[in-house]
Amino acid sequence: MKELTAEDASLLELVDRLLNKGVVLAGEATISVAGIDLIYLGLNVVLAAVETIDKAQERRAS
Amino acid sequence: MTLLAHAIAASPPATLSHAGLRGRPLAWSEAGDLGLWSTEWAPDIKLERPDALEHHRLVERICAAQPCLPVRFGTAFATTDDARASLDKRAAVLHAALTRVAGKSELAVTLLWRELPGPLSIATAAGPGRQYMEARRAEFAAREARRARAESMVDQVVAELAIDRQLVWHETCTSDSVAVSLAVLVPTEQAAERKADLERVAARFPDVIPVLNGPWPPYTFARTE
Repeated sequence: MKELTAEDASLLELVDRLLNKGVVLAGEATISVAGIDLIYLGLNVVLAAVETIDKAQERRAS
Repeated sequence: MTLLAHAIAASPPATLSHAGLRGRPLAWSEAGDLGLWSTEWAPDIKLERPDALEHHRLVERICAAQPCLPVRFGTAFATTDDARASLDKRAAVLHAALTRVAGKSELAVTLLWRELPGPLSIATAAGPGRQYMEARRAEFAAREARRARAESMVDQVVAELAIDRQLVWHETCTSDSVAVSLAVLVPTEQAAERKADLERVAARFPDVIPVLNGPWPPYTFARTE
């Protein structure tokens, strides 16, 4: 596993907030976000945010 | 045309430039005394990594102009009426959330372990079953010790900075690298001072590398569910 650098941590903290925090409005459609895998996988680390996305994708698929 | 949501604010809207994401028009959809800032978007255009960061900059711009609640990135509405209906449904909680974050910004602290967990040494004289169980037990004990240490650092940060617990959110040990991920809601005009305080406290922990971010919009504290 790649060690997480301070720069990685900063980017991941921000991306986590953009994708996992903020107001969730009822009745919305969510546009697919094509580049998100690259945001995370490019860093070669696994954080809670990634797991959250994976779970959400699994829920949508089932 | 769809609306790609950025932030919710109270009406009247602040005066902002008309450029939204990728230079497309920025729109204001009003519902009662609330409104939604969004970009007029084409549904066939996929969002990419730079769009997430541009959304962040847009939300920062909106929050600098008026109190606002960031909307989760990727949220879209087919029509203005859909956006208005969504605000109407949750008007009371959205108002309460706006009041909670008005005049405040979020600071983020990540504490990264200086050393990642290494291999555990188990007595080799034992049989394979015993070795396996001993390894499991040692691994569990090491994980619990790390979690307890992370929680103690959170307690120390909160106590030393005299932060109201309601204005703090945190998670511990979300990965092998991360000890603590913590967010604090602070008055915007004191953000630089509070950030320096946080840096000072976090720098005293010998076993972690502190990474501070923000001030940025109150993403963590905008949740209403």
